[in-house]
Amino acid sequence: MTTTRQIRLTVNGMTYEGRAEPRTTLVDFLRAELGLTGTHVGCEHGVCGACTIIVNGQSVRSCLMLAVQADGASLMTVEGLGDGKLHPIQEAFMEEHGLQCGFCTPGFLMATYELLQQNQDPSDEEIKDALGGQICRCTGYQAIFRSVRLAAAKLKTAEA
Amino acid sequence: MAVEIPKAFSDLPTSSPRWIGRSVNRVEDPLLLTGRAEFIDNVTLPGMLHCAILRSPYAHARIQGIDVSEAEKLPGVVVIVTGEDAERWTQPGMTMPENWGTRCLATDKVRFVGEPVAAVAATSRYLAEDALELIQVEYEPLPTVADPVKALEPDSPLIFEEHGTNIMLQRDFKWGEVDAAFRDADHVFSEKFRWHRVGANPLETFGVISQWDPIEQSLTCRGSFQSPSHMALGRTLSLGLQSNKVRLISQPHGGSFGGKGGARGTDITALLSRKSGGRPVKWIEDRMEYLMAGGSQAWDRYYEASLALKQDGSVTGLKVKLLDDLGATAEGYGAMSAAKPLTCFTGCYAIPTAEYDLTLVATNRLPASPYRGMGPPPHNYVLEHLMDIAASGLGLDPAEIRRKNYIPPEAFPYTIPSGNEYDSGNYEAALDKALEMSDYKKLRDEQAEARKQGRLLGIGLVSTIEPGVFDWNAYAIVGMPGTGVPEGVTVSIDVLGKITARVGFALEGQGQYTVAAQLLADYFGVELDDVQVVAQDTLSAPPHFGPGGSRLGVALSAATLGASELLKNKLAKVAAQLLQTQPENVELMDGMLRVKGVPGAEMPVAQVAGTMLTRSDLLPPDVDPSPQATYVWTAPGRTPADEQGRAKSYLTAANACHLVVVEIDPETGQVEILKYFIADDCGTRLNPSNVEGMIQGGVAQGVGAALFEEYHYDEDCQLLTSTFMDYLLPTISDVPMTEKAALVTPSPFTPLGAKGVGESAIHTTPAAIMCAINDALAPLGVRATEVPASPNRLWSLLREAKHPAASE
Repeated sequence: MTTTRQIRLTVNGMTYEGRAEPRTTLVDFLRAELGLTGTHVGCEHGVCGACTIIVNGQSVRSCLMLAVQADGASLMTVEGLGDGKLHPIQEAFMEEHGLQCGFCTPGFLMATYELLQQNQDPSDEEIKDALGGQICRCTGYQAIFRSVRLAAAKLKTAEA
Repeated sequence: MAVEIPKAFSDLPTSSPRWIGRSVNRVEDPLLLTGRAEFIDNVTLPGMLHCAILRSPYAHARIQGIDVSEAEKLPGVVVIVTGEDAERWTQPGMTMPENWGTRCLATDKVRFVGEPVAAVAATSRYLAEDALELIQVEYEPLPTVADPVKALEPDSPLIFEEHGTNIMLQRDFKWGEVDAAFRDADHVFSEKFRWHRVGANPLETFGVISQWDPIEQSLTCRGSFQSPSHMALGRTLSLGLQSNKVRLISQPHGGSFGGKGGARGTDITALLSRKSGGRPVKWIEDRMEYLMAGGSQAWDRYYEASLALKQDGSVTGLKVKLLDDLGATAEGYGAMSAAKPLTCFTGCYAIPTAEYDLTLVATNRLPASPYRGMGPPPHNYVLEHLMDIAASGLGLDPAEIRRKNYIPPEAFPYTIPSGNEYDSGNYEAALDKALEMSDYKKLRDEQAEARKQGRLLGIGLVSTIEPGVFDWNAYAIVGMPGTGVPEGVTVSIDVLGKITARVGFALEGQGQYTVAAQLLADYFGVELDDVQVVAQDTLSAPPHFGPGGSRLGVALSAATLGASELLKNKLAKVAAQLLQTQPENVELMDGMLRVKGVPGAEMPVAQVAGTMLTRSDLLPPDVDPSPQATYVWTAPGRTPADEQGRAKSYLTAANACHLVVVEIDPETGQVEILKYFIADDCGTRLNPSNVEGMIQGGVAQGVGAALFEEYHYDEDCQLLTSTFMDYLLPTISDVPMTEKAALVTPSPFTPLGAKGVGESAIHTTPAAIMCAINDALAPLGVRATEVPASPNRLWSLLREAKHPAASE
């Protein structure tokens, strides 16, 4: 039960090596072994979306993935979003009051990042689809919706 | 020292406020957006152990024996505690009503599924969970008390044998000549209602790290505490410690909504720390633990209610009979939720008489906890649905029966029959705004057209009060002592002129640090970034309570302004000495202390504060070298409750009118929200975006309560909804993007005229949606009186009404 395996993975551009039991979830590994506590755990069973991160370019519930499954993968977490300053998505959430307690926020930011990577100009329905797996108990989603709209506009302007 | 707290923005020492009253970006956000906030599970202490809790699989059983010997042998396990340790080292937790509680770990029997039986501290959570599987517990199952009605019968099995009954409290309150009102009524409308259990479910569960000092006999707990000082008092009593040796540090936490819980988890980790010789012990509640056995469940209610009316539609009496299933113990303060409707019993209406026939009963369900709104949301639903039933019976439009019965604007302050005083309001203005925004007449035309096509389209329109600035005296009827809830803030200016506010509560989501910073930046004429707000622990902070009962915006702004006034008076004395005048000639304006009527005779606040700290030779003899002041505020004019529970309790009464349009799919019973309009009046808005966020968040929780969320139990009191796959929280696709209007009727009793708005729309949304659903069902002659109106319930009703689309 306590046998561990060596794993090596890239998180936010940094390479990490560590040992994990086969049963250790990826989010527990990120938080406890790598000290990357920006990714939060809300339900441990893949419904709330708080632990959403990007694995090889795709959003993943890090509570539903084992650390050993991420061996060799390239990950991005909320710690990798800004580069010494707020990312335009983070700025947009701040300006539109798209968060209250902030616990679900890293998951929303990563889901938004994935959406806007794939679709620069999402429709209302596409935004709702992309965020449909993220639960927020505070905001009632309206300000989050506006934040994503603003983030899309900011990213387009930055590109132009 | 009497302090004059500013009553309006124009009373602030600034020629034009730059921050307060505006939707400024929140000072909390950079930390939260980058994942750097110190939520409790992000904290690791040297030598820390991890706790896992073994829980009862039975709802009601006697514990015959516990064997932990195999678990103790597992490598990594450091210490295990059971009921024996709890018996030796703890007292039962505080309850309301009194004496309906147990120790943190079951000693003789278990009373609900998930009740803690034993706990392990190990070097990792994984190992601690492994150890739980090695603990053997022998149970003798007892008959379950599952039905609150049967629980009242004399031969029912008992949850607490020593009480000889399952009734925790039974009272019949009558306010005014209510029986005469019903006797003399032209019409009486009655209905039964059932509100099923819902609950808070913040995205972060409860978590704690406890550390016992065996030499000092002291305890330090870091945790996601909503009410740290209250929790500290509870631990002092349950763990038998000296009160100033219990220090609680509230970490930023991921929401609470009243339902964070945590008393048992804190006691259990304290015991583990004590038994381990003082190592810090962390426990993070998992989601299943939260749903099954945490601060998760509220409002399990069976109502019978009636309205008495005169021929002209004026309501003369309201009778409400409530059977409230509080679950296995009274440890969760669920009883407070049955008491709080006294603060707004008759809603927005000038109903002169009322009766509240209240029974609180124990069953083998999870002990009920508070949840945002704390009881009025179901009560408001009952009242508003009855108003619609009466309107329909008298052939009146729902808008018109409400308009006819509103407390008129000139009647404030207005005392309702159940004793609370409403500060101010203009309910008709909110109604008119909602009607105008929604183009109500056109909506009714569209509805008529839809009905012709057989569509089930409904319009719900309700008016409710949100009592704000809670007071303990509102809960006297369930045994809570005391009047007044002190909240203190310390404001200081450092040697370089920067301002720090020290408060007794942690980040929770409402943006209160931003509000304090807005006020201080305007008061002392600095930038928002020049102000820092810092949380202090329970032994360092001035008297405090923190968020709860829609109080903190008002309480915090009052305390912040009070401290600022005291500090200004000090600065003025020093400035007078330096500017060679009398203190009464000095005023603060735009960050300068200046001599009235003498242009140019002025000094910046920072310079005066710096002088106080570094030039004792220049200070007047009666001024200490401390540019700092503390002010502790409590709501003025509160009165102790009389024998009928009547008190001036909550200081403010915000109000809202919601108008919602829904359509029911007759084939599935699914409800779609088509349009949603809100006219909300919470007085002066200190930060409009914060307020809108509170309202919209309340809408989402109201949508959940009305349509999705429900704790299902089986006949053995086993919870069937112990994950988020079964307990359904609303998502972005379920919550309407609402159209909101802000009305402003300032409170005459609060600083700046703001009213409490933190609980907000959950008071209104469930009633609005249920009224809309019933409006949609009206042509079929059936009523939905069970909340949530989930698809299965509505589909059954449609079937009962022989709707052609609803058949097998």
